[in-house]
Parts: sequence; C-alpha cells; structure tokens
Amino acid sequence: MFDHIQAFHRPRNIQEALRLIQDGGGGGRFLAGGTDLAVQADRSVRFLVDLSKLGLNYIRPSGSGWAIGATTTMAELEKSPAIRALANGILAKAAASCGTVQNRNMATLGGNLVNASPAADTATPLLALDAVVTFTDAQGQRTTALAGFFSGPHRTAAGGALLVEVEVPEPPAGARAGWSFRKLGRTQSDISLVNAAAGLGVGPDNCVQWVRIALGAVAPTPMRAANAEKLLAGRKLEPGVIDEAAAEVAREVRPISDIRASADYRRQMSGVLVKRALQECARQAECAL
Amino acid sequence: MNTIEIGVKINGDSKRWTIAPGDLLLDVLRREGYYGVKRGCESGECGACTVLLDGKAINSCVMFAAQADGCELLTIEGLAQGDTLDPIQEAFLERGAVQCGYCTPGMILSAKAFLAHQPNPTEDEVRDALAGNLCRCTGYLKPVEAVLAAAEACRRSARER
Repeated sequence: MFDHIQAFHRPRNIQEALRLIQDGGGGGRFLAGGTDLAVQADRSVRFLVDLSKLGLNYIRPSGSGWAIGATTTMAELEKSPAIRALANGILAKAAASCGTVQNRNMATLGGNLVNASPAADTATPLLALDAVVTFTDAQGQRTTALAGFFSGPHRTAAGGALLVEVEVPEPPAGARAGWSFRKLGRTQSDISLVNAAAGLGVGPDNCVQWVRIALGAVAPTPMRAANAEKLLAGRKLEPGVIDEAAAEVAREVRPISDIRASADYRRQMSGVLVKRALQECARQAECAL
Repeated sequence: MNTIEIGVKINGDSKRWTIAPGDLLLDVLRREGYYGVKRGCESGECGACTVLLDGKAINSCVMFAAQADGCELLTIEGLAQGDTLDPIQEAFLERGAVQCGYCTPGMILSAKAFLAHQPNPTEDEVRDALAGNLCRCTGYLKPVEAVLAAAEACRRSARER
C-alpha cells in the first residue's frame, strides 16, 4: 500500500529535518505519530521525515503560560498534571477524547493541528485558550495565533514549515472564572459530531468580564463564536442570557451534512453544547443561575 | 525498491529486519511470523493489531515499521514465560473471555499495558482501557471480568511474595 514511499529519515535536529524536506525534490512529509498519515495513504508522498528525535516532546512553563512541544502525545497531555490543572483541564479532556488508548499513545498535538480536520478535538480548547503556534523553516521562526492558522478543511497556513511549539498563555486573571469542554460523539473516543469549549470570568455583580467560545466540526475550520461572545460581554449572567448566547451560536455555525450527522442536527447540538458549557463555567465561577 | 534496516527488541529477542521505507509495522510483524498480531480494520479503530511499543499499547496498522527502529516490542507470543501463561491469559481462559478469539491478543496486550500502571482498577477504568479493542462477537462482559480477576490475582501473588 505504501510502495510509493521510497525513503524514511529520522533526523536528530530541526535544521536537518527542514533540509531533508527542502532538498528532497518534493513529495516529502513530516511524520509525527503517523495515525492520520498511515490511514490517508496519500500517493503523492515519496519520503517521510520522522520528527520523533527532534526533542519536541515537552510540556514546560513559558512566561506565565505553558509551552507544549509539537510531538507531545495525546496520552502525555491527558496525564500531565500541569495540563490537567490548566483552565479546568479542558485541553487534557480534549486530548483524552482523541481516539482510543492506542491512538492517543501515538497521535501528537502538532499532528492533530496540522492535519487540520474541522473536528480536531484539541483545536477547540486551544482556540478558546488563545493559543499561539510557532513554525520554523529555512527563513526562520514565526509565531501566529492559532485562530489564523486554519484556512479550510485539512488546509493550514503552515506551508512547508514545521510546527514546533504550541503556547498556551495564562488564562485571564480573576478568581471567579470557569472553563468547560464538551464533546458529542457516538462513543467517547469517536470523532466529534460537534465539540465546544468555553471559558468566562465574571465580576462581583455577576457581569461577564470576558468570555471565549470555540466549536469544532461545525464549520470548514475549528471556529470561535464571535457573535455569541459579543452578545455575552458585559451582560449579567442569567439563564435567559445563556439561552440567547446558545441561540446565537446555532445561528453563526456553518455545519455540513455528512455520513455522521445532518447540518440541522449539528446546528442544534452546537447550541446545546455551548449552553451546557456556559452553565458549567458559571458553576465554577460560583454564579448562581 | 529501496530497503532499510531496522533493529528492534521483540519479546526479549534482538532482531534486525530489512524493510521497505513505507512498510507498516503490522505487515512486517506478520511477515516475520508474529501471527498473533491480527489484521482487522487497518485504520486504527478496532485494535486487533495491538502490540506494546516500549510498554505502551499501539495499533501496528497505523504505524510505519521504521518508526519502531530502536524500540522494544511485545506481541502476544512473548507474554507467556515458557509454559506459564501470564495471569491475564489465565484469567481470560478461566472466565471464558474468548469467543472467536480474533480480538483476544489485542485485548490482553491492552490490559497488560494498563495493569502495569494501574494494579487496582475499577470496572470503569478497565472498560476505558479496553475501549480501543472491538469484539464483534459482542462479548465485553467476560473480558472486563477477566481483567479485574487478573488484577486481583496479581495483587494476591504480590502479597504472598
């Protein structure tokens, strides 16, 4: 099935990995866990550049947030005490729902993002957390907001550059805040029909000081629900307001129908998931509804 | 066709294999005679091809063989010590946790990796640990009971030692 692959390289540093891709005459592909690449069986791939020995497997403090190396596995994310503690563990929960145990032992965070499935489970919490991604190529390093990274289904702004790190900034300060990740799938490890992540902070008057809502599998790319966020900003958090925001989410998603679910169902479930996510955030923020 | 050589330690034995750069680990293992590694969905969903790579359960159908270079592998063939079965294998036999048997090697290896880190699991944890191993005879109850029984047997023998 993979007789078109003529070479397998395992470089020891990033420069060598970039050089191999650049000098290979086209058809080179970076390989992280391989769980997507081996299934897609893309016949244009002529050689593989294995990223496992580049030292990109880490979770460490960075400024006031966390830096996660691109080849960190889903299993490592879901088990990391730091990631489990960050924003109520929404990234750890998403990683834990990314396929079965066997997949999560191989699949990487960088791979999940670069594969750019509209349903990528880790993309949704990372969008809500305002994550930034760092790439490197022959021209050097560049850092960009994850929000601007996805350009369509399985398309990104990476070009031929290598994703090396995902940085999650410290969530907004303030004692009364909450975070939630919700996923709807046929089973816990199945691909998302819809997924949602939300975070919010409230002031002493229960007014929303900041709010972030992200969704997956309901648009060509993982998305932020900008209209619903605007609707909530500054409002007093009450059940009716959460319902309004959920309805706004259902309006602004752009789902398709496919083998797993209809667009109508996805649209309706987007509102349901965001409502539950906001309710969970409110509970954590000790906001009686 | 270009070939490359990889070195692995499999079931305790050091081996060098000549492979094609695009060979999948599943294909190489079966070519080398490890028939306990089953070919199922070939898309990383059913877990029939599960092996342990450096102690972690992985699907060998969605991994290139070259990725395993320098790693330690365990297949179902390497689990028994001579004629002495692993406690998980014993428990699967005792509990009748095998129907057609196709998913059994993968289930047992997933359980092996899981119990190494969680010797005292709850039933829910066992179900999570086996979630990546599909049984189409639909017999999950007895495998779950078998893993719980194996965990108990291992704890008992650890106390007796």
